[in-house]
Amino acid sequence: MPRSGKIGGALSGAAFSLMLTCSAAFAGETHQVFIEKFEFAPANLTIKRGDMVEFVNKDIAPHTATEESDYLWDTGELAKNQSARIEFSEIGTSNYFCAFHPHMKAEITVTPN
Amino acid sequence: MKLIKIAAAAAVVAASFTAPAFAEEKMNDLEIAHTAYTAGGLDIRYAHLALALSENDSVREFANVMIRDHSAVNQEAGALIQKLNVTPQDNGLSQALVKGAAEKRAEFVKLSGKAFDCAYAQNELGYHQIVNQTVEGKFIPWATVEPLKALLEDALVTFKAHEKHAENMVNGLHCGS
Repeated sequence: MPRSGKIGGALSGAAFSLMLTCSAAFAGETHQVFIEKFEFAPANLTIKRGDMVEFVNKDIAPHTATEESDYLWDTGELAKNQSARIEFSEIGTSNYFCAFHPHMKAEITVTPN
Repeated sequence: MKLIKIAAAAAVVAASFTAPAFAEEKMNDLEIAHTAYTAGGLDIRYAHLALALSENDSVREFANVMIRDHSAVNQEAGALIQKLNVTPQDNGLSQALVKGAAEKRAEFVKLSGKAFDCAYAQNELGYHQIVNQTVEGKFIPWATVEPLKALLEDALVTFKAHEKHAENMVNGLHCGS
């Protein structure tokens, strides 16, 4: 069972909050980002506002997907085969990395519906 | 004869990391499993020492990564061993690694500050370089049990990331200056 979170506010540096989502209210699409061989795949993902991204760790090593500018969103530690979902509710580009292996970087771009 | 050759190679590795060979003669699956698990455990011990002795952020960050990642790899190895219902086999290389690491730790505890940080960082770089060469060039080709081979291949990805991380740590510490 993946963890779920939702980001609110602008994707430009304002204070963000991570909130539990109500799955019944979710109307967007769910995309997957696989963490494998110390890379996020796809490294560049474009989604629509309100979509969900599920991060799935396939490596033995634990990883995170963590917003880079100010830790605005974070999956938390993901062990092998664990996953976490984040809902993106605001337009913009979000750069993220693995907090344990900072050379691992990727980005998600959120476009209008 | 076999044990002497392996121990001699490992002793040279532990001392300088310049030896081209880590395991000279073919090992069986149970010996490979034992040595791989042992090597991971030793790196975790080095990391705990680093957390106890270093105040450098990059060294402490690296040490935490080593504890987290090697614990995960060894946990995976433990699960595989349990699943296959086998007992890893102690061997000359594992014993030489344990002895070499004990000697290294004894050297490290006499150091502090930048001297410790550089010694730890350079040891980690050398350790991962030689372990990676051995896992890639010997253990994976030698392994005959498919799940063990797959685990070693997965672990190698992690260990290579550690080698790169260690290289960056060494460069960042400016140990030559």
